[in-house]
Amino acid sequence: MSAEKKLMIAREELERIIEICENVEKRGLNPFTVNVKELLSKLRKTLEENPTLDHYVMDAETMYKIATLVALQHKWLKEKAKALFVDAQMIATRLIAMDKKSIVRAFLKAWRPIVSLEQMTPQRLRQGLEHFLSLPPRSGERACGWKVSQRDVEFVKARMPVEERLAERLKDLHEKLIKAFEEGGEVNYWEFVKGKNFEETFEKAYLLSFLITEGYVDVKRNPLKNEIRLIPRKEKAERKQPISLVIVIGGESG
Amino acid sequence: MSREDTFSRKLATAAAMLLFRSHRKPGVKGWELKYRLGKNYMKIIDALNSHLKMLGLEIKTVFEEENDLDKARFYVTLSHPLTLSDLVTAGWRIDEVAAVAVMLSILVSRGGKASVKDVLEILETKFPRWKAEAYLERAVARGYAEKTDEDMLLLGWRAKVELDQKDLLTSMLELQPEKAGEEKAEGDRQAADQDSTAVE
Repeated sequence: MSAEKKLMIAREELERIIEICENVEKRGLNPFTVNVKELLSKLRKTLEENPTLDHYVMDAETMYKIATLVALQHKWLKEKAKALFVDAQMIATRLIAMDKKSIVRAFLKAWRPIVSLEQMTPQRLRQGLEHFLSLPPRSGERACGWKVSQRDVEFVKARMPVEERLAERLKDLHEKLIKAFEEGGEVNYWEFVKGKNFEETFEKAYLLSFLITEGYVDVKRNPLKNEIRLIPRKEKAERKQPISLVIVIGGESG
Repeated sequence: MSREDTFSRKLATAAAMLLFRSHRKPGVKGWELKYRLGKNYMKIIDALNSHLKMLGLEIKTVFEEENDLDKARFYVTLSHPLTLSDLVTAGWRIDEVAAVAVMLSILVSRGGKASVKDVLEILETKFPRWKAEAYLERAVARGYAEKTDEDMLLLGWRAKVELDQKDLLTSMLELQPEKAGEEKAEGDRQAADQDSTAVE
């Protein structure tokens, strides 16, 4: 047998030993089902036959796995002693044979559930308040909108410009926003998107969302005043930590 | 404020800390108690424990590192076993507790580790598969077991706190099939009726 083939067989043998040890560890099997003495003698034999660096590395790994197995045997013994050396199979057989109520009754003898009460913490209250303030008002203050159905969305989508025109519309809207910003500083979102009718408002909001995502417009939200302000940029800015902002278009038309 | 007042105020603080849940998991770490109650916090805990014992509750200390009270976790648990009717009154379903009992008995008898497949196999002798799986998932979510990526179940943090493992195995070995007469005498009929309605 050539030296190369011999080495390959030895390697396979070591891999098999590693696999056995790993299986026992992963699956929680009884570690005493593996004969450690036999594994060690196999290891010695392969080591004597293949005194190469590659083999030494593999051998060290196998040795480590066998040591882990011995540690597992130690742990297993300790746990068995703790569990009064009760056979797991016996417990399983009893569980299968007994009815549910008897099992529960036996369990209750050993079970002392934790007593704990739910309460409102200051942190939760703060979270709740923030959520409440971020909700859009149901009527009155809101500048525009109806409840948008899927049909409305489809309708507006159908009226949307084709892709080539979309870029043009975006550019127009961007320019308009820059102009509004230069005239009066930060622009109120609702005032800006407000159109002659709902379709136009929706279209503007839709286009604006592209500009915001692309980094041409920054959004400043004040949950206390329920205000959303827009700050346009002449050049595209890179979004390092983008977050989502849901703006519901509903209420009354402007 | 007199010493007695200070002590009773601290006692109330300790009770609130231990009984009200302020983290995702129940229980309070030793260092948290030390921070709120002072370095002699164990005296307050002992005093509270004797008060709670009168109500059938007790404070349990679970060490994470040997004998390090600051890193240990303190819980309030029941000090006496529940009865079947208590269990139903507390909102538990007998079926669900039976599933938890089966799962924990298997885990404890196998040294704290068993495959999901093995546990489900035994659970399926009592429940339909979908129910067995749902109970198992719920037990994992409650912290009675942990599920690993290799589909193995380990004993969870809650089981380590709430369960006397030796007692569980002993009582499982002493299991006797239920007798109808005993059932009546124990006053658990109500629980049984509710259970059978809920299950079936």
